[in-house]
Parts: sequence; C-alpha cells; structure tokens
Amino acid sequence: MFEARLGQATILKKILDAIKDLLNEATFDCSDSGIQLQAMDNSHVSLVSLTLRSDGFDKFRCDRNLSMGMNLGSMAKILKCANNEDNVTMKAQDNADTVTIMFESANQEKVSDYEMKLMNLDQEHLGIPETDFSCVVRMPAMEFARICRDLAQFSESVVICCTKEGVKFSASGDVGTANIKLAQTGSVDKEEEAVIIEMQEPVTLTFACRYLNAFTKATPLSTQVQLSMCADVPLVVEYAIKDLGHIRYYLAPKIEDNET
Amino acid sequence: MGILGLSKLIADLAPQAIRESEMKHFFGRKVAIDASMCLYQFLIAVRSEGAQLATVNGDPTSHLMGMFYRTIRLLDNGIKPVYVFDGKPPDLKSGELAKRAERREEAEKALKAATDAGDDAGIEKFNRRLVRVTKEHAKEAKELLTLMGVPYVDAPCEAEAQCAALVKAGKVYATATEDMDALTFGSTKLLRYLTYSEARKMPVKEFSYDKLLEGLSINSREFIDLCILLGCDYCESIKGIGPKRAIELINNYRDIETILDNLDSSKYTVPENWNYKVARELFIEPEVANAESIDLKWVEPDEEGLVKFLCGDRQFSEERVRNGAKKLMKSKQAQTQVRLDSFFKTLPSTPNATNAAKRKAEEAKKSANNKKAKTSGGVGGRGRRPK
Repeated sequence: MFEARLGQATILKKILDAIKDLLNEATFDCSDSGIQLQAMDNSHVSLVSLTLRSDGFDKFRCDRNLSMGMNLGSMAKILKCANNEDNVTMKAQDNADTVTIMFESANQEKVSDYEMKLMNLDQEHLGIPETDFSCVVRMPAMEFARICRDLAQFSESVVICCTKEGVKFSASGDVGTANIKLAQTGSVDKEEEAVIIEMQEPVTLTFACRYLNAFTKATPLSTQVQLSMCADVPLVVEYAIKDLGHIRYYLAPKIEDNET
Repeated sequence: MGILGLSKLIADLAPQAIRESEMKHFFGRKVAIDASMCLYQFLIAVRSEGAQLATVNGDPTSHLMGMFYRTIRLLDNGIKPVYVFDGKPPDLKSGELAKRAERREEAEKALKAATDAGDDAGIEKFNRRLVRVTKEHAKEAKELLTLMGVPYVDAPCEAEAQCAALVKAGKVYATATEDMDALTFGSTKLLRYLTYSEARKMPVKEFSYDKLLEGLSINSREFIDLCILLGCDYCESIKGIGPKRAIELINNYRDIETILDNLDSSKYTVPENWNYKVARELFIEPEVANAESIDLKWVEPDEEGLVKFLCGDRQFSEERVRNGAKKLMKSKQAQTQVRLDSFFKTLPSTPNATNAAKRKAEEAKKSANNKKAKTSGGVGGRGRRPK
C-alpha cells in the first residue's frame, strides 16, 4: 500500500509544470524515504532528478517499494482539476496498475478522485558521480529565468562564464551580441535576492538555451536557483522545494567539434 | 530484399527493441547509410509528373536531386551521414539476383503490353519496376558527395555488411537502411525511415540488436539461423515455415542442424543441396573492408564545384544549389551538443525494478505451488490450470 498526502495541490501542480515540458512520461519510485524520479529527455541531453522526502508530506506511507510509470501529460490534466488549496492524496496498491489521485477541498465538502492507468516504462537509470564543482552560483530564480528568456532571442546557445568578480551570460547571433553580467552581492540583507558565488577556479561553458528555458519552468517552486559548473561536466541547476525536497536538472554542455 | 517478415516478428515478440523517435533526436550521431538502396529509392520516387528528372540529354538526375537534398536535411538536423556503396554481389546471391532478373523481364513484358494498350497508369507502374541503379549513377553520386564534403565508403561486397562493420567498430552510431539484413550482420543499431522524405512524417524507427536478442531470448548465432529460416537473399528457405514456426523451432532446437534432424520430412520439404551453412558463414564473416582503418571526415562543401556539377547540363536551379551549400556550411560551424550518456553511466537496473521482478517471480512460484501444477519444462507455462 502506498499513500502520500500533501496539504496543497499547488505544489504538485508546480512540480508537474516543471517537468512535463522535458519528459512525456516518467517513473515515480516510491520507498519509505519518499518519492524519487529520474529521467532523461528524449534526446538524452538533459536529465531531471526529483526528490520528495517522506517527512515533507502531511502523511506518507509506503509498505513496499513501488515504481509507478506515469504519462505526465495525463497527470497534468488530472491536476488541472484540483483547486490550489485542495488537499491532494496519491494512493496505489502494491503491484497495482493504476494510481488514485484524490482532491479534498479545504472545508472537506467536496471530494473528487481520479484513477489513472500506470505504464510499464523501461527505465534507464544513470549513476551520477559526485563532482567537486569549480563554481557554484546562487541567484534569484526569477532573475535566471529572465536572463535565459532574453538571451534565447539572440542565439541557440548561451555562454556562461564565471569568475571571481561575477557571472556573465552571453549570446551572439545574426542580430548581434548580448552580455549580462551579475556581480556578487556585497552585503546580504535579503537572502532570496542575493547573488552568491563560490569559486575554486574560473569556468566557461556553453549550453543550449532551449533546455535552460525548459528548466526555468521550475521557477515558481523556489525563490533561489543554484547553478553548479565544472569544465567538461554537465551543468546542474537546482531548485529547492521548501520543506519537501528539490528538483535538479542536469544539462550536457556544447563543445567545439575539432574532429571534423 | 532483406529478411522476410523480420520487422513484424520483432514488433510482435520483442517490442522493447524498437523505439520510435523524431529525426532531430539523432543530432550529433554519425550514421552509415546504404547508398545503393537510397539511390534506388530516389530513382523511383523523385519524379515530376511521373517522369524522372533528367539532363538535357535525357540521363536521369533524380538520384542526384534526392541525394543532395536528403543529405542536406540530415546535416541540418545535426546528423553526420557516411554513404556505403555496394561492391560485387556475393556468389550466393546469384539465385536471388536471377529471380530479380526474371521479375524485370516480366515487368518489361507488362510494360510493353501496357504501352500497346495505352494504359498510362500501367506504363508508369511498370516503368518504376524497371528502375535499376547503374555504376554510372553510383559514380555521379560519389562525385556529388565529395563536392558536398560528405565521406563515402566502397564496400568490397554487400553494403549492409560494411555498415554493420562500421557500427561494430564504433565508427558510426547506427546503420540507416530499410533492409533488415543489417541486423543479421550484427549492426547494433538499425534506423529505418531515416532517409524518407519529410513530407511523409514518418518517425524514425530504431532497432537495438541487444534488446532484440534479449527479447527473443536467443544468441547472435541463433538469430542468424532464424533469419535464414525466415528467408534471406543468400539461400532458399524451407517452404511452409513462417515466422511463428521459425522462432518456435529455433527456441526448441537452437540451430538449423538439430532442426533438420527433428523436422517432420513428410510435412516440410527441405530444398535440395540446401547451402544454409555457407549463408550462415556469410553472415558471421562477411567480406568487408577493415572498419578500423577507415577514416571518416566531414569537410567543407565546395560551393562553386556544386554549382558547376549540378547546374548547367543537369538543370538544377543555381539559386537552390547555392542555398543548399549555405546550409551545409552552417551545419559545419555549429557547436556540437553532447549527450548525458557520455558523462553518466547507465546503471544495470534499479533496485526497485529488480525487487519487483523478483517479487513477481516468487509470487508466480507460490501460486504454482498452491495449485500443485505439474512442473512444466520452463518459465513459459504460467497460469495454466491443471485438469
């Protein structure tokens, strides 16, 4: 038996919005420690890793480890039926081929439940090695989303260059070039508005805007975003989900092709 | 052509080996393409008002048109093609080739009949059947590829075998062909419909060799025997044995020798002097050029050369050719997007999945015990109630 209850359907909605652009379907791995999801997009350029800890739920019970393959489009459709303040409960029997999603209004007067068929997905799990990143940048999530959106107008790819002075995002295309520099915040009054850079050595990497813009769909989940970079290693973009866990996106860099 | 009914068999019995995806998901991949098959397709399909495109002298240029635009489309999607041309056909193929020659003759006769009768649809239909790829076509195509900066390989024998060798050596990611032979030759990945026109909106089908063997639970030798039973280009097959029966026989007896020992000769007639052994050898050790020594290089296109080659006598529009050349240039400059697979290793299987599989197996065992079913030969006999 698996049962997980969240006080606010809006969090689940936001989580779905944050992953459904990249993934059509994914497997939710449930255990007594919580819910995990790891999946690559179709072209295997980016990876989504979602962790929801069991202690973050209002109620969480998972007797046996359970893998639920879901069509995220269908899941999003169901979640659209919930009001933001509704309680949401996910339920499944052991070895079940369906999952039940139940919404209860705050005043307990309306209860709706939806049953969704599960899918058997072949899972390719990737082992992600621990990396000592050369640069870790924390910045307001809104700011990052804005930068990605703005630079996407100029080019398909954006160059992120991180030094001790600050972090620079640049793009160049047929129209011209664009550069956005962010300096490290001097005095931290409001933590959520700060730009903080921890740097071992400077890094310059190139990434596809399309994927970065897909990642920023997670912006409503968190006030801050953390970018971890290291030469020749995928970028990690992490959004914390308050009291519940986090969502991490991995993105393979673009490289100069010397071979041909 | 190819292996009879193999793709359907795979779709039925090992669906996990097939994945459909859009062309753009293959960016950055190098693919070996069976050129002869492509040229043939273009000569048949690239037509305007039923007639082939031609030079002022009436020599066809459909194959060049197809090659030019299709290759640009691949490069535009970030795919790096290498074309592999057929060499001499293997001796064993003579039977198959004789059959094809026979069919040509028939088509020729039919064409004549249709012309006499003034049946336009018939004329067009049989005209298409008479299309063949000549050495001249291949030579022109090679010239065009050189100007485009795209590499090609001359196979000593069968192109599919050479493609498979390139894949096995890690020189390219997959073989792109409609001919399922490439799998029998051991190409780890096969892409179908990659060279189809965009208008057909056909998703690319990716066949994985490993998953296919796993799904059919046979090894590579047994797979070759299976293909021979299904019907390949190199020898006859046993009449009356279709895909279903073939996989059953392979699963029971594991190779053709044992199958022949156990086959009910009153029901099936084995062809006389059946040389399946030679066909098998041909699949296991085909005549190919050493793939390790082949160096594949994609270079900048020669715009002026292309214009000179395609315009003029061949009547291509200069503007379009120049546009095409620009696209080729552009695809050269773009940076390459890396895939995550090259950084992170795939874990064999998730603990969750293994546990679930184990649990299911245990439960199946338990229920079998409860029912006190007679132990049957293998895993296959689940859920059958003893009478």
